[in-house]
Amino acid sequence: MKKLDETVKKETLYIAAWTLILSAVMQSVFLVIGLWKPDVLFGNLVSAAAAVLNFLLMGITVQNAVEKDEKDAAQLMRFSQSMRMLMQLALGAVGVFFFNPIAAILPLFFPRAAIAFRPLFGKKQSAGEDE
Amino acid sequence: MELAIGIILGCCALGAGMAMIAGIGPGIGEGNAVAKACEAIGRQPESRGAVTTTMLMGCAVAETTGLYALVIAILLIFLAPGRLVNILVETMNTLG
Repeated sequence: MKKLDETVKKETLYIAAWTLILSAVMQSVFLVIGLWKPDVLFGNLVSAAAAVLNFLLMGITVQNAVEKDEKDAAQLMRFSQSMRMLMQLALGAVGVFFFNPIAAILPLFFPRAAIAFRPLFGKKQSAGEDE
Repeated sequence: MELAIGIILGCCALGAGMAMIAGIGPGIGEGNAVAKACEAIGRQPESRGAVTTTMLMGCAVAETTGLYALVIAILLIFLAPGRLVNILVETMNTLG
């Protein structure tokens, strides 16, 4: 098995950290409004795991794709996106069906929120990091 | 009654399927982004780290569109039928 690229590892850790923080915030909100039950926690866990796993798999695909030629890379990415979507559908369905639907759906968007927060909290590193 | 329930279930499934059409877009977009990134890395191999980081973030943003569709599909398949059938049954009981 190929070694995980340092960039992919770093970005996945960043996304996982933000997902953890936002999950904690969501659990706190459920506690404050008095709707917290164990199914909120389990729904959150399943969905947050799906979101982070999706990002990690996307990173691994990107890592493999940049070593291929253009056509193969595009094809690999499309295939990977379909498979990851199916994985998220399955895990999201488990969360919605067996646990709290809101707690199971919201964490799927936490990586997007983490990226939105990046310019606010992150260091200016993306543009000329390797230079 | 059975016909009405059948129509509700059919429409939910149809709606979920139609929602997932939106899943095609991110796939094509990500594919194109990665293809262009390959081209860029081919031209400037030293920029590989920066290009990969930017591309990962871009792919994650692009994928959100598909996620919206996915969430709608999940809700239509797993939550909506039960709720709608309950509403139908309650309405039928109220009307006698």
